[in-house]
Amino acid sequence: MSKLARTGTWPGILLVSGMLAVCLVLALALGPAPLSVGRIWQLLFAGPVPGDLDNAIFWQIRMPRVLTAALVGAALAVSGVILQDLFLNPLTDPYVTGVSSGAALGATIGIVLHLSNLSWITVLAIVGGLGTLAIVWMAARRRGRIDVFVLLLAGVTIAYLASAVVTVLMIKANQDMTAIIYWLMGSFSGRGWPDVRIALVTIPFMVLPLFFTREMDIMLQGEKRALELGVEVERTKRMLLVTAGVLTALAVSVSGIIGFVGLVVPHIVRLLVGPGHRGLLPVSLLAGASMMVVADLLSRTVIAPNEIPVGVVTTFVGAPLFVYLLRRGRRA
Amino acid sequence: MATPPDHPAVPEPSPERETRHAPLVALKNVDFAYDERPVLRRISFTLEAGDFVGIVGPNGSGKSTLVDLIDGIHQPVAGEVLVKGLATRRYKRKAMAREVALVPQHFDLDFDLAVREVVEMGAYCRGKDPAACGDPELMLARLGVAELASRRFSELSGGEKQLAVLAQALMQQAPLLLLDEPASALDVSHQLRLFDLLKELNAGGLTVLCILHDLNLALHYFDKLLVLSDGEVAAFGPPDEVLAPEVVEAVYGVRAYLHRHAGRTYLTFSPRLRGERRGRVHLVCGGGTGAGMMRELVDAGYEVTAGVLNALDTDEETGSELGLHMAVEAPFSPVGEEAHAENLQLMRAADLVVVTAVPVSHGNARNLEAARDALAAGIPVWADEGVRASDFVGAVAGLAEGGAQFFAGEEALLAAVRGRSLPGGRAPVVSPAAARVAAPAAADDPTPTASGDPPPGEAAT
Repeated sequence: MSKLARTGTWPGILLVSGMLAVCLVLALALGPAPLSVGRIWQLLFAGPVPGDLDNAIFWQIRMPRVLTAALVGAALAVSGVILQDLFLNPLTDPYVTGVSSGAALGATIGIVLHLSNLSWITVLAIVGGLGTLAIVWMAARRRGRIDVFVLLLAGVTIAYLASAVVTVLMIKANQDMTAIIYWLMGSFSGRGWPDVRIALVTIPFMVLPLFFTREMDIMLQGEKRALELGVEVERTKRMLLVTAGVLTALAVSVSGIIGFVGLVVPHIVRLLVGPGHRGLLPVSLLAGASMMVVADLLSRTVIAPNEIPVGVVTTFVGAPLFVYLLRRGRRA
Repeated sequence: MATPPDHPAVPEPSPERETRHAPLVALKNVDFAYDERPVLRRISFTLEAGDFVGIVGPNGSGKSTLVDLIDGIHQPVAGEVLVKGLATRRYKRKAMAREVALVPQHFDLDFDLAVREVVEMGAYCRGKDPAACGDPELMLARLGVAELASRRFSELSGGEKQLAVLAQALMQQAPLLLLDEPASALDVSHQLRLFDLLKELNAGGLTVLCILHDLNLALHYFDKLLVLSDGEVAAFGPPDEVLAPEVVEAVYGVRAYLHRHAGRTYLTFSPRLRGERRGRVHLVCGGGTGAGMMRELVDAGYEVTAGVLNALDTDEETGSELGLHMAVEAPFSPVGEEAHAENLQLMRAADLVVVTAVPVSHGNARNLEAARDALAAGIPVWADEGVRASDFVGAVAGLAEGGAQFFAGEEALLAAVRGRSLPGGRAPVVSPAAARVAAPAAADDPTPTASGDPPPGEAAT
């Protein structure tokens, strides 16, 4: 990348890294039993110690929850960047491909079948998400090419279809309605280390696109121009779509559907570091993590001891922000 | 070709290429269709390194598709497209981009990237080594727009964008540059700058294949032209050969006229009525009194002849540009026997003889005699009222006696000719005896009556 982007990229990464660090510390410190920054420092180096209440709160409750939130936020933001730039459509978010609705359907089936073991619900959500991606993919394939426009339409259609099935299931399984609704609105409540382990799987998929920033930049000029400049467009597109799909499915499977992070974060970050992916991807990753950690912090502290679903918080924060961005008339 | 490829434009040979001499680009009997709709048929031609070739042809003749085929974006349905002897389908995109660069017709970018970043993208096919990639700022400087580097691409004007995209394509360092109507969004000064630049790049060894619409630019700048018509090659060769008026007329369906002026050749055009000819009109004119009418009548679909005119006379020059059949006499000479005889023949073949407000002197009085002969032979003669005033030898009187009709000026004459359908090949039958002589038309009522016939009137003089 050129000098201009480089001078924007590294300060951006540093700034947002600092922001994420602050958010993480706040999220670990605040809650029904507040911990001081010094205490957090101690606990971090002490490691999990049985018998200590602070230690248990820190290592068994807050740390996994905060890490899950950070990873899910990062995954959704990266997925949002990929999909917006692949579709060359600023209103695209990780959910338009239908992956999240498919994942929601999978999770709902798990809940209705009383597979109370959380990891089974997660597996079903991943299967539902990736299965939807496969269906949408096949619908959009024509002579070895993926028509992104058809993919978008197919994704939206499948999303409606999956939501309809979820609704039917909710009516059928009256007693599970609350669980399903909570899941659909998204929450990090009660997430533990098994969830972190699933969320950690997103890391390679977040790193992978970082090796294709140049191709992604060039593809901003449209698929034909990218071909002319030497990009293997179909291969790149396939890789990016699968990456975004896996990221979304994994994120949705551990947290439920959390809106606006994948839509708004890439837009804000473009204002900060520009549309070049060398800066946009890593900064979006960090910013998405920060936003989700803060949103989760708000969701469990604002009306404590009750929790607001985190998807509601991100929507409350994201919707006005997004309208503001649209009013500013940004094209990127 | 004008520029021998003494500058090795090819940076590195591709490993899988056949090494024996192969032209840079060869198309062999290429057919192409979008879905079931055929676009190109039986296209065969080759480009050698150093060629500077323009592609012209009407909209929808398959020009852009042809360029995309050479760049391997499309694959032919039949036949072969070879770049350096290797079929385009065997190239990976990156290898293709190292051989062929394309400047697209439409290019826009909705994202706020700096021009430098956009230009730099062209070096993608050259890998990551900055030494091999070249400097985007130097490239912009080479095109004379170094100052654009730090501006935002989306803020550039149309012409600046075009140059930035050209810089992007040149970053590929490919030996062949394809351009798809690069000049269509540019004003005339930017157009000329662009083509001068391409010429310069060509002199440096770059092979250029450029689609353009302006046939005069094509005529001036390119060493060879490829004319596409309805998906087929209509002509391929030196511009002045392939842009002969007949070819242009056949390909574009317009009339084309070739002019030579100050050592340059250019084409002008006029819409052409296809199909029936509207009739044949002979003009008696001279000194520029008939030039306007010649064009008007030709454009309106009449076959026009003229005479006798002196060579180098304005009307004679206009007539030869328009490709008219004329009886011509040597410059500044009175009408001689031979020219007069030819003129009579032309008049007899005409459906109508028109006399403009030409100054009549002893030198050309014979033309009016000829017109009178035509009247006697049953061919109507319509004259501009103005000729009475410019008649210095009293020749017009005879014309009036013979039954000629007079009109108040060129406009009125043209209106009358247009309003009256001349039956192709034969004159309207007007017996000289029965024909009434048209009165000098009133200045404010110059047009013929509703029937389309010239206004009747009493005999003049």
